[in-house]
This record gives sequence, C-alpha cells and structure tokens, in this order.
Amino acid sequence: MARFLRAVSNPIAAVGESVIDMATHLGAVVTLLLRVIRSLFPPRFDMPEFWRNLYKMGNQSVPIVMLTAFFVGGIMVVQSAVFVKRFQATSLLGWGAGYSVLREVGPILIGLMFSGRVGSNNTAELGTMVVTEQIDGLRALSIDPMRYLIVPRVLAMVIMLFLLTVLGDLVALFGAMLFGNLIIGLEFGVFYSGLVNSIGIGDLMHGLIKSLTFGLIIALTSCHFGLNVRGGAVGVGRSVNAAVVGSALGIVMSDYFLTFLLT
Amino acid sequence: MIRLEDVHKYWDVPVLQGVDLRLDKGVVWGLIGPAASGKSVLLKTVCGLEKPTYGRVLVDQSDITEYGESEMMETRRKFGMLFQNNALFDFMTVGENVAFPLVRAGDIAEAEIAERVADRLKAVGLSGSESKMPNELSGGMRKRVGIARATIASPPIVVYDEPTAGLDPVTTSKIYDLLNGIQDESRATVMAVSSDIIALRTFVERIAMIYQGRLIYEGPESELDDCEDPVVHQFIRGELEGPL
Repeated sequence: MARFLRAVSNPIAAVGESVIDMATHLGAVVTLLLRVIRSLFPPRFDMPEFWRNLYKMGNQSVPIVMLTAFFVGGIMVVQSAVFVKRFQATSLLGWGAGYSVLREVGPILIGLMFSGRVGSNNTAELGTMVVTEQIDGLRALSIDPMRYLIVPRVLAMVIMLFLLTVLGDLVALFGAMLFGNLIIGLEFGVFYSGLVNSIGIGDLMHGLIKSLTFGLIIALTSCHFGLNVRGGAVGVGRSVNAAVVGSALGIVMSDYFLTFLLT
Repeated sequence: MIRLEDVHKYWDVPVLQGVDLRLDKGVVWGLIGPAASGKSVLLKTVCGLEKPTYGRVLVDQSDITEYGESEMMETRRKFGMLFQNNALFDFMTVGENVAFPLVRAGDIAEAEIAERVADRLKAVGLSGSESKMPNELSGGMRKRVGIARATIASPPIVVYDEPTAGLDPVTTSKIYDLLNGIQDESRATVMAVSSDIIALRTFVERIAMIYQGRLIYEGPESELDDCEDPVVHQFIRGELEGPL
C-alpha cells in the first residue's frame, strides 16, 4: 500500500514542483519587467552598450534571418502548389503566402530563430559574467547592472526582432513569389496582385504586434536565466537550456493568446 | 573607519555568525580561514555587495545596511575591490578596464584618464598593454590589471579578495611587493583575504581568522603565533592533526 501511495504521489509531487518552479520563474520575469520599466523613467541607460547590442543582436542576425525567411517562403509554395494546381486557384497563392507569412509563420519562425541565436547568447554572456563576478564588479564600481547591461539588451532585442521580422516578412514573400514562378509557373504580377488585393495593413500589424511581444519575452527570459546562473560552467549550460525552452514556450503560448485576441 | 556589529548572514546554512570587527582608518588588515568559511562573503558584506541577514555594518559612522541601492552606489565609490576571479570585463580592453572607474566618475578629461591609466599600468608592470584583451593575459597579469583597476581612483578603502590565488611563489612575491608599493603611496584602509598565510603576513598589520562564520582570532599580526586557539594553531602551521 505504501509503495502504491508513493508511486501515485511521486508524479503528483513532480508536477507540483514543476508548477511551483514555473510560477517562480514567471514571477521573477515579471519583476524583471517592472524593474526595466522603472529604469526607463527617466531613461538613463548606457547608450554605447545599447548601440553595441543593436549591432550585435540585429545586424549580425540579418544573414541567417534572410536565409531562413527565403526558404520559409519557398516552403509555403511547395506545400500549397499541389492544391493550387488541382483547383486552378493560382491567383490565391499570393494571398495564401501573405496571410500565413505576415500573421503567423514569419513572426514565430523568426522569433524562434532569434531566441536560438541571440537569446541563448545573451543568457550565456550574462551567466558567464555572474560566475566570473563581473556583475559584482560592476556593482562594486557603483554601476547599476540593470541600467548598464539589462535595459540596453532588452530594448535592443525588442527593437531588432521587430525590424528583423519586417525584413524577414519581405524576404519570405519574395521567396514565395520566386518559388511560385519556378514551381508552378505563376507570373510575378499575378502573385503580387493576389497579395496586395487581399492582404491589408491589419494583417501586417497582427504579425508585428506578435514580434514585439516575442522580442520582450525572449529578452526578459534570457536576461532572467542569465542573471540567475548558479554553479559555474555547468550552471551556465543549464541556464542557456532553460532560457531557450522558456522562450520557445513563451512564444508559442503568447502566440495562441495574441491570435485569439487579435483575430 | 569600518565597524561590523553582530553581523549574521544566512543562506541555506549560516555563513556569518555574529561577526564583530573594528578597523581604524589606514590599517592594513588580513583575513585568513579555511575554504568556505565565509571570507569572501565578509568582504562583500563590508562593500555592500551582500546584505547581512541581521547586524550592522558601519562605514564612516553610517549604517550601510539601511541604505537603498542608490545610496549604496554612492558609498561604494569609497571602495576599490579586487575580486577572487579578477572580474575583468572581458568585452573591454585592458586599458578600458583600468579606465572604467575614472570614466564612470564622469568629470575627468579623456587625456587625463589616458595618462593615469598609462601611469597605473606602468606601476603594475604592464606598460603598453592598453589595447590587449583580458583573455590574452596570463593569470598573474590579469591579477595585476585587477589591482590597477581597484586602485586607480585612489579609493580610501581597498579590498583584495585572494590577490595571489593560483599564482606561483615568484609572482606572489611580486604581487605583494606591488601591493606594498601602492599602500605606501595611498595609505588607504586595506582588507585582504588570502589562503597564502605566509605571504599575507608580510603585508598586513592586523590579522583575523574566520572559522565556520565566526572570527576566532583578531589582533596584531605579530601576536598570531601566540594564539592558543587549537583551530588557529593548526591552520597557521598546516598540521594534519587537530580540530580542522
């Protein structure tokens, strides 16, 4: 009987621990958000650090985002080509690609790519600074790590994911147009008119609001896990892993609620 | 002057337990103790990097445990600190690291900063290393850059956490020689933690030993050998038999 009770209660305890763990992290991320907001009034943060991060997180992500987006556009066409040809609905290809890329696939895939490339790097960098006492070093020099390190990174990530999503959307649509022409021989003009006649500014805004939200989630999650590293190099690895998983979970869950709210 | 009154610090276990200490201005004070006995935590508590669970820490008669982060930032300007891992900013060059306390002070001309950085690097034997990155330096060189950064703004209180950890005996001697030179010049209040007892004793005037979060000896360095506490006795002699 005791063994049975242990077997039943252990999974329940494990689920309970996970829920408490998630709630703790969520609470800490919300606290971090409030501290970031407080640091913006008045907006005193380190400008050189902000520009450095814009470059590192944004400019250096451009090639990988463009490449990903280009093939995402192609995938849209490859997946829909069979049906488009079967129903002779080639004029709908521009609408289909535009609708899915702008509202859903663009922001979410670029967000996940950004999380993997920039978010994980940010966690590793902050985590290493924690274990090598660089954060304490800043505090010892009377520098607030929040204003010097965290606020510039959060702002840079939000701004850059937004801009990268705009760029990625354009490249994905270009990719869809090119692959549409190559695979089913759809003329560029037909694709373009299908796109502009049925896709509105609302569809674009839908995706861009998501990208701003995803940027904030990635920034806060990666900073939170980076600042809370414990236990040297192993701890840094664990935190990077947790940050990537946490960001992906946050992106997918917030995507569901935003889609629900914005549609 | 620095005073600690009944300072306790708890995490999962007690780290500091009822530490009382008084350091007069200009004294060179050393702290020894076994690993994980609370040495670094004690130093960080004095600098305001860790808040005690209870007890008071007075720096120049002000209780810093009651300070918020902004007041604490002002107080930390009185301190220069060398960390155990040096804590050099790895995204900055050596020159930028050493200049950082002066740059953040905000009211010093760039030319003067460059001159003071060059002077300080010369003093620690690293002339011309301004453009190198910390990862291009050896352990001893990184330590010297950390010392240069901790002392460039001539703070009235300097804290050295393991200034010679992991260094060979010759480099250790050079580092203490350097610290003595800086101290002769600055006459700052110094708190130094080291596992290298012999070398540390050549540098300090007063010394304390911490064990399980409690100061079990505090007094002139010259009287340490006369201490009858069996823990102190065993630790300073490195004996295998004893309470440790």
